[in-house]
Amino acid sequence: MIDVAKVDYWAASGTGPFQRASIIAKLGFLLLVLAAALAAKNPYALALGYIILLLIAAAARLPWLRMMGLSLYAAVFTVLYIVSLRGGMTAHAVLIVKAITPALAVLMLIVSTPYPRIFSVLSAVLPEILAAGLFMTYRTLFILLDMMDNFVAAIRLRGGFSPGSLYKNSANISKGIGMLLVRAVERSSRLYAVMVVRGYSGSMAEQGPVKLHREDWLPLGTGMAVLLLVILWR
Amino acid sequence: MTHMHIPDFVLPVWLWVSGFVVMAAALGLSLLQLRSMDKKKKIPLLGAISAAMIVAMSLEILPIAYHINLSVVAGILLGPALGFVAAFIVNLMLALMGHGGVSVIGLNTILLGLEAVLGHTFFSLLRRVLPVFWRAAAATVLTFVSTTTLLIGIVAASNVDPLRFLHADEHRLAVQEGPVLISKFAVLVLSFGVVGWIIEAAITGAVVKFISQVKPDLLSHRLHDSPDQGRVAGNGQ
Repeated sequence: MIDVAKVDYWAASGTGPFQRASIIAKLGFLLLVLAAALAAKNPYALALGYIILLLIAAAARLPWLRMMGLSLYAAVFTVLYIVSLRGGMTAHAVLIVKAITPALAVLMLIVSTPYPRIFSVLSAVLPEILAAGLFMTYRTLFILLDMMDNFVAAIRLRGGFSPGSLYKNSANISKGIGMLLVRAVERSSRLYAVMVVRGYSGSMAEQGPVKLHREDWLPLGTGMAVLLLVILWR
Repeated sequence: MTHMHIPDFVLPVWLWVSGFVVMAAALGLSLLQLRSMDKKKKIPLLGAISAAMIVAMSLEILPIAYHINLSVVAGILLGPALGFVAAFIVNLMLALMGHGGVSVIGLNTILLGLEAVLGHTFFSLLRRVLPVFWRAAAATVLTFVSTTTLLIGIVAASNVDPLRFLHADEHRLAVQEGPVLISKFAVLVLSFGVVGWIIEAAITGAVVKFISQVKPDLLSHRLHDSPDQGRVAGNGQ
């Protein structure tokens, strides 16, 4: 399971060079790595690109070991798909590195950028309902995770989990999900009302012109290096 | 298993690009329907249910690696148009968390959005036939049978041209290796899927029954009611 709260903590508290780079540069980095994965025909080139990303993540003081574990998670699902495909080991290796390299790039983006900054860029291009929905989902997610922790503690304390009693456990868990949903809707409604009172009008796009900074060379340079490697080593 | 965990660029380009095109069209239609909705009431509901779906999808049931989706619950509580929007938000956020690829957001949104739409439709159609728990559970099973079939269809379609992943040398190797093994994939997905459908149906039934007892107004998803109209309708009941 991806610990959303921990990812948010890394994104908000990190001070490394990747965290200091602008969101535009990091989105550019992601696009360059996605382009590299799309263009890749040679598993060795993209595998080297994956290693470069890991080295950069470690050098930039990102939690590279956890990120590597999470990116390999993508390979598990690729294997399920691979069983239905023809082709030899090389073809299957291409598919696996095509899966884990973009996953690592996405993780590098999210562990170094707080979600509101990503949403501010998205809300500049998305319709109001989608932008507001994304933002409310993000805010409610943490409320819900917090409530879920309390619910699990409460149900244990009150003897709600009985080993061996599948029916009783399932009924309690389902009622718990129902209760969490009802309470999440109520708290989300209150939160939205407070935001509207404080002047929220459905948009949270960043003001001012988009500019590149000195720190942006790292994500952009890394993305370009991976793409060039894949293009040259075909 | 109706939400595809297929990572980036594993599927052929034409397939995931088509996914984005269909998703954009369906999202456009949904947003057109939602133009005059009561935002103050519906956007917090959209946020809460999308967040609940993300939390549910983050929890895997071992050993079958299944996670509940709550997509039918979303369809029942939000209605088809807002349910489809929730599916897009969930998939976008999951992709940003590294769960599922960026390039398959389109196809995953179609699958998850279709679950919301079909779940709502089946739940409405069975209104006079079954009590709430069984209605929600039956709607879930019917929905998942349909969307799992679509998922297998998508993977089968991707197999039409698997050679585009490969080098010229491997093209020859691939041709020699014989027929596409979609049946193997279908058997895997369906055998795990049946267990998943039962778990999801039981949870969806219980959650919807609980909501119908505790906060039944959540089950009415009229989009365009102003708060005043809602109060009048509530008094009338």
